[in-house]
Amino acid sequence: MKFLGLAAGPAWLLIAGSGIAVVLLYLLKPSPRRLVVASTLIWQRVLRERKHKSEKLRWWISLLLALSIALALAFALTRPEIAAVSGTAEDRVVVIDNSPSMAARNSDGSTRLKNAIDRAGEIVRAAGAGSRFLIADTMRQLPATGFEPRAIALARLQSIESRAGTPRIPEAGRAPVHDGTAPELGNAADSPANPLRVWLVTDGVAPLQPSAETQVISVFQPAPNVGITAFDLRALPGDPRRHEVFIEVTNAAPAPAQVELLLSGMGNTPVSRVLRVAGNATSSLVLDISGFSEGPLRAAVRAEADAFDLDDTAYAYLPARSRVRLALVTPGNKDLARALRLLRHVDVERVSIARVREPGRFDAAIFDRETPSQAPRVPGLLIAPARAPWLALRTDEVTDTRVERWEATHPLLSGVPLRDVLIDRATPLRTSDESIAQVDTTTGRADIRTGLEVGNMASAMALTAVARGPDNEALILATQGGRRFAVLSFALDASNFALQPGFPGFLANTVDWLTREPRAQTQQLGLVRLPLSGARVLDFDGRVVPTTEVSGATLFDATRPGLYTAVARDQRSRIAVNLLDSRVTAINVSRLKPTDPAAATGARTPGMPDPWTMLLLAAVALLAVEWWTYHRRLTV
Amino acid sequence: MFSDSFLRQLQLLTLVTRDRAHGQLRGAHRSRRVGTGMVFADYRPYSEGDNVRHVDWGIYLRLDRLILRMFEEEADLPTYIFVDVSQSMDHGRNSKLDCARQIAGALAYVALLNHDRVNLAAFADGLREMLPTRRGRHQTGSVFSFLAGLSGGGRTRMDTALRRYFSVPRTRGLVVLISDFLDPAGFEQAIAVLRRFRHDVVVLQVINPAELDPQLPEEVVLVDAEEGTATEFEVTPALLTAYRDTFEQHASAIEGSCRRFGWGYARALTDAPFEDLVLRSFREQGLLR
Repeated sequence: MKFLGLAAGPAWLLIAGSGIAVVLLYLLKPSPRRLVVASTLIWQRVLRERKHKSEKLRWWISLLLALSIALALAFALTRPEIAAVSGTAEDRVVVIDNSPSMAARNSDGSTRLKNAIDRAGEIVRAAGAGSRFLIADTMRQLPATGFEPRAIALARLQSIESRAGTPRIPEAGRAPVHDGTAPELGNAADSPANPLRVWLVTDGVAPLQPSAETQVISVFQPAPNVGITAFDLRALPGDPRRHEVFIEVTNAAPAPAQVELLLSGMGNTPVSRVLRVAGNATSSLVLDISGFSEGPLRAAVRAEADAFDLDDTAYAYLPARSRVRLALVTPGNKDLARALRLLRHVDVERVSIARVREPGRFDAAIFDRETPSQAPRVPGLLIAPARAPWLALRTDEVTDTRVERWEATHPLLSGVPLRDVLIDRATPLRTSDESIAQVDTTTGRADIRTGLEVGNMASAMALTAVARGPDNEALILATQGGRRFAVLSFALDASNFALQPGFPGFLANTVDWLTREPRAQTQQLGLVRLPLSGARVLDFDGRVVPTTEVSGATLFDATRPGLYTAVARDQRSRIAVNLLDSRVTAINVSRLKPTDPAAATGARTPGMPDPWTMLLLAAVALLAVEWWTYHRRLTV
Repeated sequence: MFSDSFLRQLQLLTLVTRDRAHGQLRGAHRSRRVGTGMVFADYRPYSEGDNVRHVDWGIYLRLDRLILRMFEEEADLPTYIFVDVSQSMDHGRNSKLDCARQIAGALAYVALLNHDRVNLAAFADGLREMLPTRRGRHQTGSVFSFLAGLSGGGRTRMDTALRRYFSVPRTRGLVVLISDFLDPAGFEQAIAVLRRFRHDVVVLQVINPAELDPQLPEEVVLVDAEEGTATEFEVTPALLTAYRDTFEQHASAIEGSCRRFGWGYARALTDAPFEDLVLRSFREQGLLR
């Protein structure tokens, strides 16, 4: 027999002390009251018959009862472990998969997660007396704790919810749950020499890789599901005022499904389509959404007996499409003026460099070989800028170069091929990473001053190259944050860029990027990281979402698809959070093979309480017996 | 000792004996002797020397034979009143000895008024005090003084006391034994002594209500007032019930013995009104008439 509450020595000492104390109390009972009576003749006759039989017996019964109560309490305090009664004490780690697919409903109405929690509860309850438990989840919802008693573990199980994000089996206990470095949960130091067992309760949809020792319990049940796996909003090339949306609908069930798609937004009646999607197939369509005005856009699919809700809706934000007032500062450039005339939503006015600063007159400006001495108040495109204090430093002039590589996904270069752009002469600006690298390699005092200057400029205008030449020179640059500026390191007449078919597209992209509200960020469900400090996040209904600030970024937990708005000082950004993951939508693809269910929960008689509980109950029962017998004078 | 009204009521009473009186003096009780008296007893033939005043002359005229008429002679009743003065009788409130004194005084008063001879003896573990025979109303004072002077003490040994008292020849009469009968040697020996001398006996058991229904703490050491022995035990309802049963058995055994031998028996509770006890209970029990 082992004791879990105390070491063996003190435990036996406590038990022996309790017994001795009870016996001493019985032996050292205070003397009874003396009474003088006329005669004890009759009493002695009575006692002759009773005392020798019942009085002694009563005393012994009373002593035995008191001893039993004291010993039961002492044993209960020591929390004995009796393997024959309640199994062997173990350290059990139960990992619950609470990835999004676990929210799928079964045919009986319960969710996979609910079944998983029930199964985990069986594992906890089936453990032997004195066992300790560590409950973990694959979405890191539960805080890192050590091994805990059964009651706390059962309570902790009930707090687990399905979360979005990237599922992962945490490291737990004294042995890693799967191959990794250090344990994330649990504390090896406070663990007695109990054997460790690990369970993973999952539907097998999430790509988890449990170790060989982990016993996998599957709660997978096939369930029909139709979901949106792509929802992409984009402007029509050449006309930023018009938008279309690409929607992909996936049927994760083997049977074909009839799906009703509803697209709703601001300023127009919702668009409805009925799709017939074959089993385990996808169906996609493109819809013109020019009829909708600026604002949220919501797509929803509805199918019969759909078991999974998170992928049934998707959100986006349709940006504003008003006319743009553009200031053109140029000594004269026919190609540029001609290309700008193609932009129907842009009103171009050729002005002097001084008038650009008139407040509220222009939305953006293009400085063609003209460089203002101060940073302009509106965003702008700088073509072959001269040296200016507010601009980043220039590098050495390069000649006879060409665009070697560019970021086709950058908003400036979307749909703009630069393969054939040849440049006779360019004076590239330094990007922010180049400036920092130069500071790192500088060791002289003079260079330190230059480095500080470079650093200050970089912080004022943090530029990043979106197109580079063969020698890595930055030919087209854009700001990373703050007020937007785009920079061409070369003059249009020193290159053939203006003659390229993509040049009007470049100008359209540039004006759109400079003037439009930033497009809504698209994020996956789960923990969303915003590169904003101290941002306040509102959900679609205007409720404030709890946030956490970590090293200059704001984090919040998006548990359901929706359109969120982050506000930080004068900056506002919209975040469309959607599931849009075909791996999650495919809730009928279970990758893990479950362990033998008979051996899954561990051996223990169901419903058998811990020995200390039984001892406590026995003590209470004996106390009741003692009370009953004492008040009937059956005991002393 | 008693109020005047109570004494006046006692004057109307007589001690009852179930046997013929064996007194030598004239009294108010029927005796076995035939002689002068008021109650016709029998006829018998005249023999020489008989008193001719008892010849029935009517029979002589009819039958020409001398026949004597005989009458029952009325005698006094020797009364022996024994009062237990052991320590058990003189303990606590409502002392049994006080009650015994009053009973003895009342009965002696009745006897003296009826010209019976009254003998009083106080006993414990032996004869403690005795009052020689008293007869006549004028002896009331000495009887009451004797009773008032009794004090309690000593153990109870009834048989020893009775055996010693009757070791001297005594005329058969009425023995009134007043005691609590808490005699470690038992009451049977004492009864045997009384039977041997063929007295008519009246047993009066004096009981303190605290003995009938003792109020004791849960754990107690009882000290015997006579013996000085201590008995420790825990008082339980079952034990109290057993005690009451045993006490009742004890009293019933005394009563049973008395009934078996045709003796009178009565219980006297110390908290009962004394006048009721004498005037009603004793009359109902046939001790007084």
